[in-house]
Amino acid sequence: MIPLNWYLALSAIVFSIGLYGLMTHKNGIRMLMCVELMLNSANINLVAFSSYNDDMTGQVFALFSIALAAAEAAIGFAILMSIYRMRDMIDVDKLNILRW
Amino acid sequence: MAMENLAFLIPLLPALAFVLTFFLGKKLPSGGAIIPIIAIAISCVISLSITAGLLANPEHVVTQSVHWFAILNLGILIDPLAAVMLSMVSFVSLLIHIYAVGYMSHDPAKPRYFAETALFTAAMLGLILSDNILQLFVCWELVGLSSYLLIGFWFHKPGAASAAKKAFLTTRIGDVMFLAGIVLLFADIFAILEGKLPEGVYLLQFEEIFKFIPDLVAINSTILGMEVSHLTIVTLLFFGGAVGKSGQFPLHVWLPDAMEGPTTVSALIHAATMVTAGVYLVARTFPMFLAAPGTLMVVAMLGAFTALFAATMGIVMNDLKRVLAFSTISQLGYMVLGLGLGAVIGAEAVGVSMFHLINHAFFKALLFLCAGSVIHAVGTHDMRQLGGVGKVMPITFATMTAAALALAGFGIPGTSIGFSGFLSKDPIIEYAYLFATETGNWMPYLFAITAAFLTSLYIFRLIFMTFTGKPRSDYGGHESPSSMTIPLATLGVFAVIFGALTRGTFMEFIKSNFEHLDMNALAELGGYHISAHHGAEPILILWMPLIVAVAGLVIAYLIYNKRVIDMSRIVSSENPVYKLLYNRYYQHQIFVEIFSVKIIYEGLALASFYSDKMLDWLVNGTSTFLIEAGDSLRKFQTGVIQDYAAAVVAGVGLLVILVKLIMEVF
Repeated sequence: MIPLNWYLALSAIVFSIGLYGLMTHKNGIRMLMCVELMLNSANINLVAFSSYNDDMTGQVFALFSIALAAAEAAIGFAILMSIYRMRDMIDVDKLNILRW
Repeated sequence: MAMENLAFLIPLLPALAFVLTFFLGKKLPSGGAIIPIIAIAISCVISLSITAGLLANPEHVVTQSVHWFAILNLGILIDPLAAVMLSMVSFVSLLIHIYAVGYMSHDPAKPRYFAETALFTAAMLGLILSDNILQLFVCWELVGLSSYLLIGFWFHKPGAASAAKKAFLTTRIGDVMFLAGIVLLFADIFAILEGKLPEGVYLLQFEEIFKFIPDLVAINSTILGMEVSHLTIVTLLFFGGAVGKSGQFPLHVWLPDAMEGPTTVSALIHAATMVTAGVYLVARTFPMFLAAPGTLMVVAMLGAFTALFAATMGIVMNDLKRVLAFSTISQLGYMVLGLGLGAVIGAEAVGVSMFHLINHAFFKALLFLCAGSVIHAVGTHDMRQLGGVGKVMPITFATMTAAALALAGFGIPGTSIGFSGFLSKDPIIEYAYLFATETGNWMPYLFAITAAFLTSLYIFRLIFMTFTGKPRSDYGGHESPSSMTIPLATLGVFAVIFGALTRGTFMEFIKSNFEHLDMNALAELGGYHISAHHGAEPILILWMPLIVAVAGLVIAYLIYNKRVIDMSRIVSSENPVYKLLYNRYYQHQIFVEIFSVKIIYEGLALASFYSDKMLDWLVNGTSTFLIEAGDSLRKFQTGVIQDYAAAVVAGVGLLVILVKLIMEVF
């Protein structure tokens, strides 16, 4: 049996990779993928705890969160797609017209 | 028996072929067509040998089941009903895959095409051999998805893209009803058991559901002041799913538009297999339908209405494939009518309807493939530009004529001599007569016999306009390659002789499907009186289907070949009947313009007008205040996402430190 800590470490590593990517990249699709990584690291935690505590709630919750992530990705990509059609690029730094 | 243990491979092999073709198709010759062909061929062999085994010994039903989660399972149930469907689907799918090698030879996206048809075949086979309603629903959605993907195969054409969307959304209405039916059924069974679940029983298996039928009939709800049995509601919801999938009125609008996809797709999905899934669903849960008061009447009336309604539109269409699309809707109407006739003939209705389903699959797939062959050679769908194609494409002409004779139902009443379509459509019409004499409701019979006349008229109109006479435009036709003509010839043989060869065996075989249930008791629960005497119709009734079929042929010959009547006078925008039919009863206008635009948009506009007036003063005051406040606060928003992310991280970090501090202090 793999110790719980290993899962938590994996989750922390995945989260950090996602966070690093989010902070450093300007490409919209990359950022969206990084957000997915961060979400999934949370899922790993949920499932790990659920499995170690013998409680199904965590896994059910993880399923919900996967469904939400799918919806989020769909909307995110749709937005990026229409931005690309309008501007021919998806560099989020240049998209600041909604600022003030 | 080794073959039965391999039953799980029937849907798995095409599913595997889907993955392989999708990723490796580009590197293989002819777009990787060989992988799905081999996979489906093996599935077909397994299905046929299981069917042969069942024919020898009908009690030997194949069942396999694994635990899925909670009280649900994944399982396989191959009884006679599933066996014939499996054999038909895998066989027709195999032939159409072979045909598609020739038909799609000029298309650059072949791997995607073959991957998607393999996915469809896997899902359809999975649907057929499901042993529980939830697994069936999952596969039901999967075939809907592959139908969507394949209608929109040429997604760069706006017509195809919107047709795919229309098909998906329209069938969705039915699917939601089906799902609601499953949920209600599950909730009711749960209530009957009072929450005490028996050990080791999977509640949504068909066999388990059938055990609850008497209890389900007893649960009543009051809807609009009427006492309605829950079983009636559940079966009507299931039937709603079937209406969507099988293109029955009023959810048939997607099927003619679905012809935007490749012709092979129309043949496989929108003629032979997927659209029959609705009929199969009703057949599969037929004991429930038989025990539900009132449902079968709705089924019979709607089926008969659809059969006639679609046939009237079929006679004015000028697009080769659209005529066939309306013909499919009409024939599906016959199958649904056949099931509805269970109100007077009990479980025999399943055999009658399934027999027509199988025969229809052969001759309609053939009609579509012949049309595809013509389109492939000539490059146009429009019958007004064709004519005389029979001279350059003799094989296609011969096979299409055979299929047309089968569709129109030519044969000798009272014997087993005739084209397959005759032997299966004739019993439906005869039983519709029995239904009329037993219940006094003549509408299904009259509609069915009129539709039979129109069927013959539109299909021979198509034949005469396309294949005979002089070419009406310049086209360089040639006979199709042998990979296309061999499936045509094979299907042609089936369309001609399958009915005559298998009629008696088939009926007995399907009848044995529900023998372990007491169908008479179920019919009593539903309040249906099953009539014992049939086959004693007046001679005129017996010959009527043939008479109208011949009449249709003769009229089509006179008008479209000999031209005794000048059609251009009738076919004009002045003739109100023609206009009504040609515009398909203005369904599109009714659905889109009246329903969605008038009611929904204008309703919203009206509502917003009043809310504006009353709320303006409140809103304006609030907004002025908020604008002032916002002006000073908005400088926080830099518009750079990294800044926001940094702020979030910093905030969480601060929070963690704060919590840590507080915990250490206290």
